[in-house]
Amino acid sequence: MTLTEPRVTVVRTSKEVVRYSLFERIVHWVVGVTFVYLLLSGMALAYPRMAWLANGLGGGQTMRAAHPWVGVVFTAGLLVMVFMWAGAMRFDKGDREWVRRLKQYRHTGHTGLDTGRYNAGQKGYYWVVLAFGAVLLITGIPLWFPWMAGAGVQQAARIIHNLAYLVMLAGFMIHVYMSTVMFPGTMSGMTSGKVSRRWASWHHPRWLREKDGE
Amino acid sequence: MSTELGLAVRRRSATPASSTNIRTDTPQVSKIVDIDLCIGCKACEVACKEWNDLPVDDTSNFGSYQSHEDLTATTWDLMRFNEVELANNDIAWLIRKDSCLHCEDPGCLAACPAPGAIVQYQNGIVDFDQTKCIGCQYCIAGCPFDIPRFDPASKKVYKCTLCVDRVTSGLEPACVKACPTGSIKYGSTEDMVAYGTSKVAKLQARGFENAMLYNPAGVGGIHMMYVVPRGDMLAEYGLPSDPNVKKNVSFIGLLRNTRRLGAAATWAGILGLAVFWLRYGRHAPPPEDAGSEEGVLVGEHGGDGHVVEGLGGNAPANGNGHPSERQPAEEQPIVTSDGKELT
Repeated sequence: MTLTEPRVTVVRTSKEVVRYSLFERIVHWVVGVTFVYLLLSGMALAYPRMAWLANGLGGGQTMRAAHPWVGVVFTAGLLVMVFMWAGAMRFDKGDREWVRRLKQYRHTGHTGLDTGRYNAGQKGYYWVVLAFGAVLLITGIPLWFPWMAGAGVQQAARIIHNLAYLVMLAGFMIHVYMSTVMFPGTMSGMTSGKVSRRWASWHHPRWLREKDGE
Repeated sequence: MSTELGLAVRRRSATPASSTNIRTDTPQVSKIVDIDLCIGCKACEVACKEWNDLPVDDTSNFGSYQSHEDLTATTWDLMRFNEVELANNDIAWLIRKDSCLHCEDPGCLAACPAPGAIVQYQNGIVDFDQTKCIGCQYCIAGCPFDIPRFDPASKKVYKCTLCVDRVTSGLEPACVKACPTGSIKYGSTEDMVAYGTSKVAKLQARGFENAMLYNPAGVGGIHMMYVVPRGDMLAEYGLPSDPNVKKNVSFIGLLRNTRRLGAAATWAGILGLAVFWLRYGRHAPPPEDAGSEEGVLVGEHGGDGHVVEGLGGNAPANGNGHPSERQPAEEQPIVTSDGKELT
């Protein structure tokens, strides 16, 4: 297999372009910060060997009491993300080709496709988070009020909650790795809200054109 | 109720290698409930309340000789009553003292994520230390016998302590002391098993051919055994026929395997990402001056195959610190759009 070189126009300017509005960034970080708390407290609850994590999260009792409420905030954030990003995250024809070029993407960090605002990987992560967020919410309710649920429901909910957590953890690790270590210049989109036009033309050329056409 | 009793500890929740036992031949203690001798008087319930200073739970008539419908955070001992019709048109009153069975392999302890909230003393008693309980109620899911009860007010879980405070002082448990027929006995596990075995033989000789000693192996045995005259009616007594914390399909088995899977997957993920980073490195957009006139660009490798050094202007911070990012992908020939192959 040969790898086709990308055909893109690199815009010779160092100007920046707005990728995420202030509102989008706030929602992202609310979800992100609550997720980290849920991740760590969940780890302390699911793995007795990680119980020491509770000390850094307010102590066992506080952590156990906070976990479901933090989960409510997290869920609310996801709900906003549904309205905010679901349209942009719809899969289209180009996404199939993106998946075919995963190997090239891995080697060069680029597929050469005329990618829009999000590539298939980003879209996939978005839907995985929403789907498993829903699973964690549904299985989380009987863990919040166990005395209302039967023993079987509680046990099933605990196992499913723990497994769904693993999917979220895997997605989160990849998400953080790709947006910081793997692709420099990405993180600023979620801090200042702006990315360089060079970054945009490299990763999301169609989005940049659409942006310019505004 | 407390772990500060000077007793040797065999296991402590969420604490690996927690055994403190350096003593020899610590006697294993047990209760045995001889259901054949039980008259259902509920003296044990009252004694339990009294010794443990537990408040009264209101009772109501719900069509049973049972005092309360269920165990609660403040009712640790309950005489369960069930009337069943027998094949010969006779009826049987099944009465069973329901309280913590003090498993040898406690599912509650295995499930508990709070260090020290559940302890198993060397003598076999399983006890909760509410000062360390975080209220997650994992123990309730973990118990094969549905014993621990959550108190929403204090947000802690409670159950029978086997009167560890009395036992430690050389007294028998309160329920044993109060039992007027000697149905509840207390002593070394050895003696209790011996009593149960001989009693079962007597019952069988009397025509209860299904009589059995209830001491399930699936939880490693229990420290409150039953002599069950009608061993074919465990379900009617409200006793699980195969309570289990060892099988992979049991809740504790699933939980254990989920934890193993999670630990392995987490480490694999961390190491996998580290190796991925070493192998593939960072991918910055190509430098601005590397774009050819046709707008064809080849990433890090440059249009003519030379490695581009440095970036000008306000280029975003990129990983020019990592060597691998400047390495062309190995084994994969990189072909530009005009068919030129890079090596």
